[in-house]
Parts: sequence; structure tokens; C-alpha cells
Amino acid sequence: MKSWRQPGFWLPLVIVFLWGGIVLVLRQDTVRETAFTVLMFMALASSLNILLGYTGYVSFGHIVFFGLGGYTGFYLISEQGWPLLPAALAGGALSGVIALLVGLAVLRLRGAYFALATIGINEAARAFVSNFGPFGGATGLFVNFSAYEKYGGAGQALWTTFTFLWITTLAVLVVSYLVKHSRFGLGLQAIREDEDAAMVMGVQAPRAKTITYVISAFFPGIIGTLYFFKNGNVEPGDAFQLHMSIEMLVMVMLGGMGTVLGPMVGATAYQGLRGYLLTSPIFKDLHLAVAGLILLLIILFVPAGAVGWVRGRLPALRRVLE
Amino acid sequence: MKSWKRNVVILLTILGLLLPAAPSVFAAEKTVIIGYTASRTGKLNVEGMRQINGLSLWIDQVNAAGGVKLPDGTVVKFAAKDYDDESKKERVQELYTKLISTDKADFLISPYSSGLADAAAVIAQQYNKIMITAGAASDSTYKKGFSLVYQAYTPASRYLTGALDLLGKLDPSAKKVAIIHEKDKFSTDVVNALKAYGETKGYQIALFEGYDSGATDFAPFINKIPPDTQAVMGGGHFADTSTFAKQLFEKGVKAKMVALLVAPPEPKFAELGDAALGVIGASQWQPEAKYSEEGAKKAGVEWFGTSVADFDKTYKAKFKEEPSYHSAGGYVAGLIIEYAIKKSGSTDTAKVKEVLDGMNLMTFYGHLKFDNTPKAHGLQVGHEMVYTQWQKKDGKLVNQIVWPEAAQTAKAINYFPR
Repeated sequence: MKSWRQPGFWLPLVIVFLWGGIVLVLRQDTVRETAFTVLMFMALASSLNILLGYTGYVSFGHIVFFGLGGYTGFYLISEQGWPLLPAALAGGALSGVIALLVGLAVLRLRGAYFALATIGINEAARAFVSNFGPFGGATGLFVNFSAYEKYGGAGQALWTTFTFLWITTLAVLVVSYLVKHSRFGLGLQAIREDEDAAMVMGVQAPRAKTITYVISAFFPGIIGTLYFFKNGNVEPGDAFQLHMSIEMLVMVMLGGMGTVLGPMVGATAYQGLRGYLLTSPIFKDLHLAVAGLILLLIILFVPAGAVGWVRGRLPALRRVLE
Repeated sequence: MKSWKRNVVILLTILGLLLPAAPSVFAAEKTVIIGYTASRTGKLNVEGMRQINGLSLWIDQVNAAGGVKLPDGTVVKFAAKDYDDESKKERVQELYTKLISTDKADFLISPYSSGLADAAAVIAQQYNKIMITAGAASDSTYKKGFSLVYQAYTPASRYLTGALDLLGKLDPSAKKVAIIHEKDKFSTDVVNALKAYGETKGYQIALFEGYDSGATDFAPFINKIPPDTQAVMGGGHFADTSTFAKQLFEKGVKAKMVALLVAPPEPKFAELGDAALGVIGASQWQPEAKYSEEGAKKAGVEWFGTSVADFDKTYKAKFKEEPSYHSAGGYVAGLIIEYAIKKSGSTDTAKVKEVLDGMNLMTFYGHLKFDNTPKAHGLQVGHEMVYTQWQKKDGKLVNQIVWPEAAQTAKAINYFPR
């Protein structure tokens, strides 16, 4: 089964490719900013889905990789003068290495114990960075405004960052699909259904889980670097926000966990809704309450997520809506 | 027929008479939009809402007074456009881009807190818009190469240094200072500068420790304070600093001075009872401040805007609450823009910037002057903190201004012995 022949492979890619392409052609700053927020959460949610959706392991503190990778990449840009792209890749690589080391220890835990351990890791990373001199301790790091000159000024730098994020999102979606449809991915799904049975059937669960954890940590590291570079500064409080972790989980659940398209739909719906409510003249003072109510209704009535619901109702679409 | 001709002549004569006065009668009106995001919700919403109140009071007053008249006859009126940033950085850049591109904001005010303001400054600078920061006290924002960002608050590096000057007055023989602070950007910036200043003044920093945000048990830190320490300084934000002050009292710390951040200027701090007595706080502004037009004249500095008493009175009348320094900060951010437009006679960024770079002004909020060197452009160099102390008056706790001497409402007392 060649992936590129499957409509389910192409659908998410074509949507994101066209969307990002239109934003680049339109070249309107407001449109770019809105797209940046949605694409960022789409890529983060899709990364988390590779672990959560395929292995069933709930990582509550997944934002730690966004923070640590972001800090590393930002440090390389601001203190070592690295260009954005290699710094972002280095940020991603460091997140992957940390996931490997941490994974060897915490992936032995299951269920609620694993979820709690990931929260602990996030808090420990925040405490470490707050006391780590090279990362600026509690005050964090910043880039001088003139650093954007290298990219053709701040305006152009923001466009470049957006383009990198767009490509990263496409890469996450490709990886997510390939993992799901590989032999390796089938092993992960067996782990999700019954880990002990999967091991009896020959799935090397510890190794498979660790590799998945590394993959799902790599992309948040890149995204973190892009995000903090765009903001011009990084502080421990912004890098390790637990609420962002929870939002990532919500987006995955909303769209449908274990599907490639689900986190995309979840992120677009959730962030689109938040963005609209925040700036709408009618709802802007009530946006949190309205967003909460809508989420509650969706989770109560569509627990499988939007994509899961459609797949359940219309079996003919299953090959398209992966 | 004749009467028809006569009527035309009369009409033309009247029109002719009116024409020279036309600019004032039919003057063009321009609405300048002040764009900002504020912490309407989230952890900084108290400070954020006060700031919004202050700014909206300024808009009401400046528009009611007929706006600002430019030399070309245009009358400038002001309107605000704001969004909630939820005290979080994620959407700050998106919202500021929207404010500038879609809502056509002419001038910007920063979000509350340095981290958020830094993210907004990148956008402001990119679009060539002037941004006044209120509530972004960290010095680092102004060392990043921005040329259009101006600070209304006294920077973190001078937040607590005045308390050391006061200590020198209170006890010239004092030598040992203990610093215990919250480990976040703002508090760390404040105490790093305090430590450096103390050392140049010959003080020995006997203890320099940080606690994590949200800490509730300070006993391990308090136990480490050397017994012969004359002053304890630091703290962080309201909740932790209040608990810290309470535990300092319960542990019977025998320092002559206790000076802490953020919490003591808040009226709610008095709920600590005896633990609040003698605690000194650093405030950007107090309703008891003595800045006046006469004082400005004496100092040879230009005066602009409302008086302290008027601000206090109108604010209380409109919002039914005591104004805090956050309220004054919101008001003064608008006042700075008003002054610069008036003085430059234009709403053009370059012309307004020129005025702000050379501004040396006294207002109800105090002295305002910006650093105009590329190294720290926009940093506030004129404004001074006032230091307040909780003292007993007729058996009740009252917050008195004890420093600087020119603004004193009472002399400072010792924290211990009481």
C-alpha cells in the first residue's frame, strides 16, 4: 500500500499546503498572525497525537518539549548567533534527546501514573531553567530588535518564521500518517488496545513507546524556537505553561484522537473559536465562559471527536478521513 | 426682481463675512485611536482593569475638554480599542497586528507585564507605531534596540534602591541587609539592581535567596537571616509577599526596616493587622503625592495635565474605588500621548517621537523623562518611586508616604523595636 496513492494521505496535506500558500500570496499581516496561532497549535496537537492517539499514553506535560526545545533554539540564536533554521532543528533535536532519556524511565509507568509523571517533568524543567544561568535564570533571554535585520527586517522575519512553521506543520502531518500506517504504527495501536497482549504478540513495547515519545517531542522543540524567536524573548513562565499542555489535549480530543485529520480539525476549531470570541464585540467580555460551554457540549455529545464521529457515521469516508 | 438681486447680495455678504471664520466653525475633526490589549481576565486582571479605568478616564476628560487642537485647525479626539490578552503571551502579537492593520490604531499602549510588552513591542516597532508601556517595569525591554517604546513606570532597577537611601537616613550605622525574593523576571531584576546598588553604598548583603513563585512557607529563608541584620528587603507579588510579611512578624525578626514589593501599597495589605505595621512598600504613585504646578515651576520643569486632587476625585466619582498606581499609570499613558501630539502639532509618528525624546515634564503622576540614547532608548529616567509605610494613627493602620522627603506625609518609623 503506497501512502501517496491514498486520498487520506493527501487530504490534510493539501488543505494545509493551500491554506499556507494562500496566506503567503495574500501577504496580509493580520491573516498571517491568525494562521500562525492556528498552525502552531495544529502542529503541537498533531505531535501529541502521535503519542496519545496511537499508543494511548496521555502526556499531560507535553509542553515541556516546546519549552526546552524553544529555550535551546532561542539560546543558540540570541547568545551564539545561529541562524533560525539550524537553531530550530537543534531545539527539536534536544527535545528528542531529552524525550529519549526521560522516556526510558517514565514510559515504564502506565495510565494515570504516566500522566502524573509528565506533569512532574514539566515542573522540574521549569524549576531547572529558572536557576540555569546560561538560559538567563528567572529573567530569561531576549534578542535585540536588530537581530531581525539579518532576515530583512522584523516584518520579513515574521514571514520567514511563518513559512518555517507552515513547513513544520506539513512535516508533522506526513510523519503522523506514516507512523499510523506503518507496521510500527500497528504495533503502537496494539499497545493502545492492550499492552500486555501486544508484547505477547511480539511488539517490543518499551522500544516502540520510546521511539514514539522521541518523535512526538521533536516537533514541539522546533515550534518552540520559532514561537520564541517571533516574540523576541523567552521566560520560564511562558515556556512551560501547563494550560497549553491541557489545551493540546483538548484539541486532540475535540478533533478525534488517533486520526491524522482530528488534531487539525480540533486545533482549527478550538483556536478559531477562541480567536473569534476574543475579538468579537458581543462576546469579548464573555469569551472564556462561551468557549467553555461549547467545549462541554461537544465533549458530552461527540466524545469520539469530530473526525471520529464522521468516520463512525459514514464508513465510506474512512479512507479519506484518516 | 430688484428684491431678488438684493437678497443675493445680502446672502453673498453674509457668506463673505463667515468665510474667514470658517476653519473654526467647520474645523476638521480627527479621531486618534489608542490601541492596546489588557489583562481583563487571568492572573493580572486586577492590575489590568485598573489601568483600563485610568485610561478611559483620560479619554473622557480630554474629549470633554474639546480634544487637542492642531495648528492646521484639525481637532483631535481620542477613542480606545482594546482586546483581552488573558494575561498570556500567546495571542499578544496577533492582537497587536489586528489593532494596527484592521482597527487602524494610531498609538499603542503596552499590555501589563514586561514579557507581554516585549512581544507587543516587536509589532509596534515593525509598524512604526509609538507604544507607551505601563506596567512593564523591567529595564531589559528598553535595551533591545526599540526606538518607539516609552516607559511610564520607574524601571525595576530603581524600584527598591530608594529604600536603601531611606535606611541610610533611618540608621546611618546600618550595614547588613538580607534580600529574599520571588524568582520571577520582575522581582529578580529588582533585587539584582538592589544588590549592586547596596554594595556600591557599602552595605553587606548578608543573605541573597530566591523562592519559587507561589511559595507559602518562608521559614527556611527567615531562619537564615543573620541575627544582626538591619534590613530585610525583597518579596515579589501580592499573595507571596503578604504571607512573607506575616511570617516575618510571627518569627519576630528584629530588623529595623522591612521593605517589600507590590503588596504593601495595596489597601488590602492592612488586613494583616500588626504584621503590616512598619512594613515599607514601593509604589509608583500614591493619592497623597504632592506633585503640583508650583512645585514644577520651582524645579524649572514644565507642568501638564490634571492635578493630583482632581484625578483622585474624578476617578473615585467615576469608578467608586480608590485609585491605585495602576490606575494612575493608565491615565498617564494617555496623558503622555496627548502632550506629545499637542506639542508637536501633529499625529505623525516621527514628529511625536521627537517630542517624546526631548520631553521633560511634571504631571500629577510625577516627573517624566525618557532616556534618548540608543543604549536604553525609552527607559524612564525622570520618575521616582514613593515609599509607603503602614503606621498607626489613632489606633488604626494608615499607609503614609515616608520617602522621598519632599513627598513625606509622615516620618519613617522602625519595624523593630516598635
